[in-house]
Amino acid sequence: MKGVVLRFRVMALLAGVMSLLLWFVELPVVYLLDNPELAEKVKWIPFVHGYIYAFYVLTAIHFTAKARFTVRQMILFILAGTLPILSFIAERRVARNYKEL
Amino acid sequence: MSRSKNLANLVFGALVVLTLVAVFIALGFWQLDRAAQVKELQKPYVEKPIVELAKVAKPNRNLAGESVNRIVRFTGTYVSQFFAPNQIDKRKIESTWSIGLMEIDGGGYLLVVRSNQLSELPRGDVAVTGRLIHRQFDDVAPNAQSSKGELRRIDPSLVVSQYGGDYYDGYVVAQSEEVNGRIISAERVTIDPVQSTVPGYYWQHIAYVIIWWLMAAVVLFLPIYSRLRERNS
Repeated sequence: MKGVVLRFRVMALLAGVMSLLLWFVELPVVYLLDNPELAEKVKWIPFVHGYIYAFYVLTAIHFTAKARFTVRQMILFILAGTLPILSFIAERRVARNYKEL
Repeated sequence: MSRSKNLANLVFGALVVLTLVAVFIALGFWQLDRAAQVKELQKPYVEKPIVELAKVAKPNRNLAGESVNRIVRFTGTYVSQFFAPNQIDKRKIESTWSIGLMEIDGGGYLLVVRSNQLSELPRGDVAVTGRLIHRQFDDVAPNAQSSKGELRRIDPSLVVSQYGGDYYDGYVVAQSEEVNGRIISAERVTIDPVQSTVPGYYWQHIAYVIIWWLMAAVVLFLPIYSRLRERNS
């Protein structure tokens, strides 16, 4: 269980950071600023976020299944990776509840 | 009663799951298509042979992606003239383009960019050869005055109200015009083959394919997980 929790926490932090970059850097640069050079510099963000989110989903399923969470909780953990702050909240909650591991 | 209710719930649940799975799989295929389009656009453009307009486009039909940029030839009669201000050509020179609305022999109207200078419309049956381009989606000249025949963008939907009938999607940038075998001399507009604009990058679309199909798998897995969890508890 320790490895499962650790993997989930790492992926939750990574997904949270990438969501922050996506929502507050890449999207404003591409859709609000008319600066192709800057847009070129941030083009790596959406697809790195895409792959990290896929891994986050897998670790979230693994963790919630191991912890015998309900289907509703599992869905909430999966969706937490889509918003910048929610995955950090999920990570903190898991860290608090499984700190003895 | 309770058994039939359970069955109804089961059928409803199965329908919801199957619908979600179908939607997620379709979204994955959509992203896969976009990834393929992005890859295709990264290849250098290769000019294809000149083709009759009727073979690659039809009135009242959306212009197919593979028809865009084709050099087409057709004949018809000009029925009206328009002007498209603020247009930029291959040399990045901004000018007002003269545009003729042509009634194509065989039916349908088509916008033809004739020149980057003002010129009178030729009379009679005109044979045109030019590059077929998809319509402009954004206004190039938002302040264009339609009363003076100005178009804010080159888009047949802006002139459709003036002449009834069928319209070709997109427009043609004329490379040559002939009347009775005589070439009409005019300052032609030069443009590069247009690049279709599919936002994003190849591996970004592939990432979305993975996510959508992963979601489909998750939706299929959740009812199984729910059953297993109930059984174990």
